Amino acid sequence: MTKSSVSVTLSGVTKRFRNTKGRADTVAVHESDFVVAAGELVTLLGPSGCGKTTTLRMIAGFELPSAGRILIGSEDVTMLPPNKRDTATVFQSYGLFPHMSVADNVAYGLKLRKLPKEEIVRKVGETLKLVGLADYGDRAPGKLSGGQQQRVALARSLIVEPSVLLLDEPLSNLDALLREQMRVEIRRIQKSLGITAVYVTHDRVEAMSLSDRVIVMKDGEIKQIGTPSEIYEDPVSTFVAGFVGKVAFFPAEVTGGGPGDWECRLEGKSVRAARAAPGIGIGNSAVFMARPESLRLAESGEGVLEGRVRMNVYLGHSMECYVETKYGEVLVQIDDPISKRVYPEGGAVSVDFDHDRVRLLPTG
Amino acid sequence: MFTKRTTTKLIAAALVFAAFDYWIWHSLRDSFRKISDESRFKEIALFARAAPEDLSLVDGWLATLPDILPGSRAAFFLAGADGSVLDLSAAEDSVRAFWEAHSSEEAYARGLESAYYLEPYMVSGGAAIDFGDEKGPTSVGVYFAPIPDESGFNVRGAIMVMAPGIGAARFETLLLTLCLLAWAIFTVLYGVSVLSRDPVTGYGVIILFALALLFVAYPLFESVRLTFMKDGAFSLETWKTTFSSRYLVSLWGSVRLGIWTASFSTLIGFACAFLIERTSVGGKKFISTLATMPVISPPFSLTLSIILLFGNNGLITRRLLNLHDFSIYGIGGLVLVQTIGMFPIAFLTLSSVLKSIDSTVEDAALDLRASRPWTFLTITLPLAMPGVLSAWLLVFTNSLADFANPLLLAGSYRVLSVDSYIEVTGRNNLGGGAALSLLLLLPSLTAFFAQRYWVNRKSFVTVTGKPSTRLTELASPPVRIALTVFVGLCLAFIVALYGTIVAGCFVKNWGIDYSFTLANIGEALSRGAKAIRDTVILSAIAAPIAGFLAMAAALLIVRKSFVAKRLLEGFLMTPFAVPGTLVGISYVLAFNKPPFLLVGTAAIIAITYVIRELPVGLETGSASLRQIDPAIEEAAQDLGADVPTVFRTIVLPLLRPAFISTMSYTFVRSMTAVSAIIFLISARWYHLTVQIYNFSENLRFGLASVLATALIIIVLVAFGVMRLLVRDEGLTEKTVSM
Repeated sequence: MTKSSVSVTLSGVTKRFRNTKGRADTVAVHESDFVVAAGELVTLLGPSGCGKTTTLRMIAGFELPSAGRILIGSEDVTMLPPNKRDTATVFQSYGLFPHMSVADNVAYGLKLRKLPKEEIVRKVGETLKLVGLADYGDRAPGKLSGGQQQRVALARSLIVEPSVLLLDEPLSNLDALLREQMRVEIRRIQKSLGITAVYVTHDRVEAMSLSDRVIVMKDGEIKQIGTPSEIYEDPVSTFVAGFVGKVAFFPAEVTGGGPGDWECRLEGKSVRAARAAPGIGIGNSAVFMARPESLRLAESGEGVLEGRVRMNVYLGHSMECYVETKYGEVLVQIDDPISKRVYPEGGAVSVDFDHDRVRLLPTG
Repeated sequence: MFTKRTTTKLIAAALVFAAFDYWIWHSLRDSFRKISDESRFKEIALFARAAPEDLSLVDGWLATLPDILPGSRAAFFLAGADGSVLDLSAAEDSVRAFWEAHSSEEAYARGLESAYYLEPYMVSGGAAIDFGDEKGPTSVGVYFAPIPDESGFNVRGAIMVMAPGIGAARFETLLLTLCLLAWAIFTVLYGVSVLSRDPVTGYGVIILFALALLFVAYPLFESVRLTFMKDGAFSLETWKTTFSSRYLVSLWGSVRLGIWTASFSTLIGFACAFLIERTSVGGKKFISTLATMPVISPPFSLTLSIILLFGNNGLITRRLLNLHDFSIYGIGGLVLVQTIGMFPIAFLTLSSVLKSIDSTVEDAALDLRASRPWTFLTITLPLAMPGVLSAWLLVFTNSLADFANPLLLAGSYRVLSVDSYIEVTGRNNLGGGAALSLLLLLPSLTAFFAQRYWVNRKSFVTVTGKPSTRLTELASPPVRIALTVFVGLCLAFIVALYGTIVAGCFVKNWGIDYSFTLANIGEALSRGAKAIRDTVILSAIAAPIAGFLAMAAALLIVRKSFVAKRLLEGFLMTPFAVPGTLVGISYVLAFNKPPFLLVGTAAIIAITYVIRELPVGLETGSASLRQIDPAIEEAAQDLGADVPTVFRTIVLPLLRPAFISTMSYTFVRSMTAVSAIIFLISARWYHLTVQIYNFSENLRFGLASVLATALIIIVLVAFGVMRLLVRDEGLTEKTVSM
């Protein structure tokens, strides 16, 4: 990269859509505050309607915030139209220009910047090579496969060397295998160019595998910001916990202990938990959060929770054990199953917790 | 938008420009005054030199002053040897009285003194004097000039000239208006560029609003206003006459004609559409092309051939059947001609409706053991009903607005469109004509809104999903054959009609002498050359303008949001629902006085063309735009293109099909326009259809046929060119699946 990358800062950004039919206004984004550091890839993750795409569009300039400020680097771009911001967007539907060839599509941004013809040709060649479409310059976009179209869209955005690359669910129109390949490609290119990027998706696997940090959103609000491991291991709410991975919840009551070693009551038994979300204190009711890999199976009566094995699914590297308990079906993941005891389907078992890995979350 | 910073900027700029503007205006005005004063002085000095020696001739000489300085008067002072005033001669008492009133004033005394020192002098500020003519008090400039003797160094006398500055006053008003206008325009333009995030959209919206207000709202407003005036004062006289039984008969005449035409057209249109979309008849392309032909035919051509065949001297009625009492003139003939001309509208609407009803539902009914007629009655027809109503209303609206056919064929049957024309051209009663056209607007607008907002909403066709590629044979062979015969007869009749026109070119004197001749062609083309040239030029000018405006408007309305967007859309779409006669009359009313004196020019004709076809272009463009993925335009913006660049590099190319079809549609409809144009033509700019009408009225059917054929040929060529240019329509469809 010839340019040094910049940060993106949102402070107090709100987007309100006025409702003209007498109903209340829709608040798509509510007081978003976050900073994307220079060279970082941050993902906005959340279910449909959580405001992630709206936020991205505000950074790009296609929507005006109702309140708040957006800075790219140190420049306040809140009111700037999209063509005056140094951002480039890869759209979900790609938005390739159907009346131009692949090369012309990619060259479009450079032609606007009035670069000399030879340089444009050279750069287009380089960029197409970067995305693996070196010989596709003369093709019409309509004649390309989905993955190829996606790469043209990426090339078109990268070639203008934007300060910030914005990606709006770019992989959602691709099949699973292609998605995986492209995911790796995008991350590789982003890292090698060192470009600051904001990525939007509802797919947690994408988010976890691509990002330096993840911002989890719901109903227009940011629920948690953290690295993939922070989000996964230390979620702050049941929503975040459930959204980024399989998890089981149990109601519990905090009876003693402190940060690092909590003591709770679950099923009349005393259980220890090493971690807790902020806001947990003695006397609160809380939710015990346990990922499948932090649960173990034991003989009936020896563990914390009694249950019956409904189904065992052998996956080779692990086994998924579905156990019916009074709190519903719980998934227990058994790694390296060959070396472990297999509890037969229909048999009674009890579920035990790895107390270093389980976590207490606030209720609600 | 309205932040402290931007508002301050705007106010500051407005003030600075105002100061600058004022300075310019002031300097210009002063220089102008100086120059005009100087030229005045020169003229007065020349006049003074011509003063006669003989005192008795002075009065006569003074009387010649108005020839040099219109409206002016003068007084003559005789000087004594010592320079004192000896005598005063004035051509008029008013001047004398004026002098006596003002002689003691310092300025006037100085003026006279100055003159005696050989210096001309102007009294600053001028004065007001009542010359005693009917004009009342006029403001004049007062000038004193010396009358030198032969030596040039002494003064024989002096004159005081009072000259009104009519021309100067007009110029100064013009200057003031221009300067104010400049300030207003600057403030608006600067305001838009500073206050809005997207100034180009702002400019575009302002321009469109200005056009809509000037060319749609203002003329309509003027014509409504005029119907409430008589002899310069408010009066309901015009409306009382309009609502009298005399004209209500015409209203009913128009409505009745519309009902008949719409009903027959829908029937025939449905038959054709059904034949093509629901049976396995052969030659579908041929049938459908023939069925759309009348759409592009010139307004008088079908009427012409009907008259040629069935008129009082018609080939069929007179020669073949030897009928003497049969008259095609009247409602019978009108329904016939209008149905033939307008059933394609019903056909096109209904065939697209039938196309989008998935045959699967009919298959389902047949599968459940329903008979074919029962399936048709209980499934097909109900699903198609909104489309049937739509088609009926569209034809009804068209029939109401129809002017050309009734003009030639109505006979004693009265319709409002012709009545309003007669009111304007025959009785010179513009207000009355406007009122009648407005009356016609009632059923017309009702039908338009009914179609757009009520019937459209009830459409079922979208629910059935993707149309299947197979069709269900819904007609048993006998039914199919009967339909084919029926449709075939109709279409054959239409072909025969067109054939008649062509035949009419070569017949010497239809009805009387059927010998072959080529003379008609020569005469018609030479006499009609100006009309042909004018029409083609103006239509060709209007076409790209309409195309470009329609695409720009579509872009702004579909993709941008701004204040009063629905209002602008309403304004731009209004001309579609307004009968042509109303458009023509309102334009005559609105633009026959300054500052918009456009009547009689080419501009107003071209503008009428554009405004009338803009609605359809807007619809076509909007439909096209809605199919384009918004991400494409956003991507262009994202890469750095501003709005005009996006328009030029992305939107226009993708809108090409819509743009070209709007252009050709405008060209064709302008070539064949009558009802609006007939009020706006002049000796300088003529129109081909009016020429055809003139020839027909004078019973020179041969000449009329030649021009009608020429018009048909030009229109077909235009269509052909368009078909060639719009071959690559697949472009936009691809984007939908992206």
